[in-house]
Amino acid sequence: MNPDPFQALGLPARPDLTDEQVRAAWRAIAAATHPDRPDGGDLARYTAASAAYAELRTPWSRSEAYADLAERAEADDDGPVTSPLPPVPGGEQSVPPPPWQPLIALARVPARVRRGRPLRLAIRAAVAAAWSLAVLALIPGTAAAPADITGLVTWFVLTGRKDLAPPPER
Amino acid sequence: MSIWSWLKLAMFLWLLRKAFRLAGWLLLAAAAVAAWPVTVVTAAGYAAAWLRGWPPARLYRSAAWAVPATVTWLAALEAAQPGFLAARTPGRAWGGGWDQLTGAGLARTFALLAPAAVPAGLALAGLVWAWRNYAITSGLAGIMASANITFDARQWKRQVRTARGLTAAPGAVPLLARGGLIPVGGTIRAIGHRWRPVLALPAAACARHMVIVGATGSGKTNLMIRLWAGWFTATLAAARAGRGNRPLLVVLDCKGGRDARVKAERTRRLLYGAGARRVAIWPDEAQLCLWDLPPDDLSVLLYQMIDSGTGAAAYYADVLQAVITLAVMAPCGPPLSTAGFLERLTAKWLQNAWNDGRHPAEAEHARAAARHLPDIQLRYATLLRRLGSALDGPGRLEEADAWYCILEGTRERSVAEAQAMALTELAARAATSLEGESRAMLLAADDYSAVSGRVPLSNLYERGRSLGIGVQVSAQSWQGLGATEDERYRIAATADGGLFVLHTPYPEPLTALAGKRRVLETAHKLIGNAWGDEGTTREQRAWTADPDLVRRLDTGQACYIHRGAATFVQVARPKPSPLTLLPPPAPPPAPPLVPEPRREAAPQPPSWPPAAGLDDIFGPGATR
Repeated sequence: MNPDPFQALGLPARPDLTDEQVRAAWRAIAAATHPDRPDGGDLARYTAASAAYAELRTPWSRSEAYADLAERAEADDDGPVTSPLPPVPGGEQSVPPPPWQPLIALARVPARVRRGRPLRLAIRAAVAAAWSLAVLALIPGTAAAPADITGLVTWFVLTGRKDLAPPPER
Repeated sequence: MSIWSWLKLAMFLWLLRKAFRLAGWLLLAAAAVAAWPVTVVTAAGYAAAWLRGWPPARLYRSAAWAVPATVTWLAALEAAQPGFLAARTPGRAWGGGWDQLTGAGLARTFALLAPAAVPAGLALAGLVWAWRNYAITSGLAGIMASANITFDARQWKRQVRTARGLTAAPGAVPLLARGGLIPVGGTIRAIGHRWRPVLALPAAACARHMVIVGATGSGKTNLMIRLWAGWFTATLAAARAGRGNRPLLVVLDCKGGRDARVKAERTRRLLYGAGARRVAIWPDEAQLCLWDLPPDDLSVLLYQMIDSGTGAAAYYADVLQAVITLAVMAPCGPPLSTAGFLERLTAKWLQNAWNDGRHPAEAEHARAAARHLPDIQLRYATLLRRLGSALDGPGRLEEADAWYCILEGTRERSVAEAQAMALTELAARAATSLEGESRAMLLAADDYSAVSGRVPLSNLYERGRSLGIGVQVSAQSWQGLGATEDERYRIAATADGGLFVLHTPYPEPLTALAGKRRVLETAHKLIGNAWGDEGTTREQRAWTADPDLVRRLDTGQACYIHRGAATFVQVARPKPSPLTLLPPPAPPPAPPLVPEPRREAAPQPPSWPPAAGLDDIFGPGATR
């Protein structure tokens, strides 16, 4: 499998390329590198381009190749380890979750923020904080102030949780 | 009555009606102004629902989530002045707000009343939005006759946009949700099903029977891989918690080719991220052993793998079956490899094997079939050579967490058909075997129609049902599900785990399984291009899953049909959590464990002198 079929065809790695663009790129390379050329062509490059063309021929396979590239880029960037764990003799043992599981989940939150959408979370947090400050400035010492802040925190938690990366077990 | 009097009466009645209507609107406007904090929230909620294509349920949920703030507020009021004496505070705040009609004053009043105004306003917005939906869809509202169609098309676009936004969020659609649910993607529209922002299926739905139909490029692969990974993650989590057996996923990719390898690699990456320890890709990287099957099953399978024909060829089929039974059920045990099996298809071996004095009938059969044996051996040698070594072992399904089996159904159909039969048999064996650990199994067949020549899909389906394993089948079209209309209907109608329909040009038979729903249809008298005052309303039946909508589905959109209801969903591309745990420090790599090749027990030649005595040797019943 070609590691980067887009590169092999000299195309930008984009999922929205058209069939025509891919075909034109392949034809250009094929014409320049075909082994039947008087100068002998470039068999290695021709083979790589042909394989890449087969991989990028349809919109669906292009989107797959693009997604694979994106995943690989993520993985290279200190991404998930997806190699298999060493086998355990006797099969998997059922292990009940430890009582300190909530603490572990809490400790993972910074990593989940980092691997999620930190900018959006920061914007949400800034909006919630700004509104909370405005509430405290407008109605200090009233019963509505903690209630409003509770509402803002609820909003932040509900909308912000989808910007976190999923926990490892999911 | 004169004409003038009648005109005056008609005018009076018209004015009276308009006056009542105007009074009603004025009262409503006065109430809206008086309760302006609630009105502001209602207007904002209504606008958000309209712009984002939310259903009313979304607003009700938001109202419910605002209740904790209200409870905090009530608790704070009670703490400030016990006996709820401070309950008058909001009234005073509202009344005082009218004295300070400045920006800051209004903001202060809103902040003071927000804990009550927000849930009330959102709930009211939900009611108003529900009324608007009802009025438009039943034809009671709208200015133009096309209002219903325009409204629906616009809302669909907005619903799709919202669902796409949700699926793009990293934490919105993980591989596994709370409660062992498998998230599929953002809900676009739910008809009959309860609306939730993300459509999530219980893992048990995958453990039953599921059908997926979608044309090439419709996003079927993404959906299937997501369901496999979700099922695997849910079952593994349940097994780790001691609530079930470890998962065993068997995927039959029946088309083969380069795309299959790409899909296999992707599935493997995802399953490793989900906690799988070994994902085997067959036949490229791993082998299975056909000869592990029990002798009875093995002989039936070997017989079925050869195309023996009907009619005049039935005689040959009978001989073939008899020979296979003799070869497999020999007293020395079943064959352990292809070479061992082919070796048995000779007159000498069979007669040696059965001529032990205890099986006279079988020995006679072996003699009778002797003249056919070279042909039979030739046929099996050809078939087994074409099948290659991938079914000749060593390897068992139980040795991995998942198997991705690639069958070249497009290139070598007859070989792929034989392989599919063998793999299905091995899966059935793994599901029913009493030896070793029990496993929860899901057998997924992608584009099974490519290899369904000799084993129809309905057989696979029924087999899975009887063995208690989940079967998931996919096809590119309704016609790909089976050879006859009856078979297709049987497969689709018994999918108790649900039916996913992606973009396909002929979805009617599938969407018909969702049934119809009752809708109101209003006919108006038209005046020019606009509606007049008169009309009628009657009850009609409409598709629950509209086939035209299914035909227009974009890549990655699917319609999930289950129990007479439908949910349109934007399927999210499956990705493992980026926080997948690092493996523990691995021990130094051990040499690969290759099972000791089993040695086939050769039939022993009769002992000399035989136990039966010399008379049997030289007499009429001699064996040589």
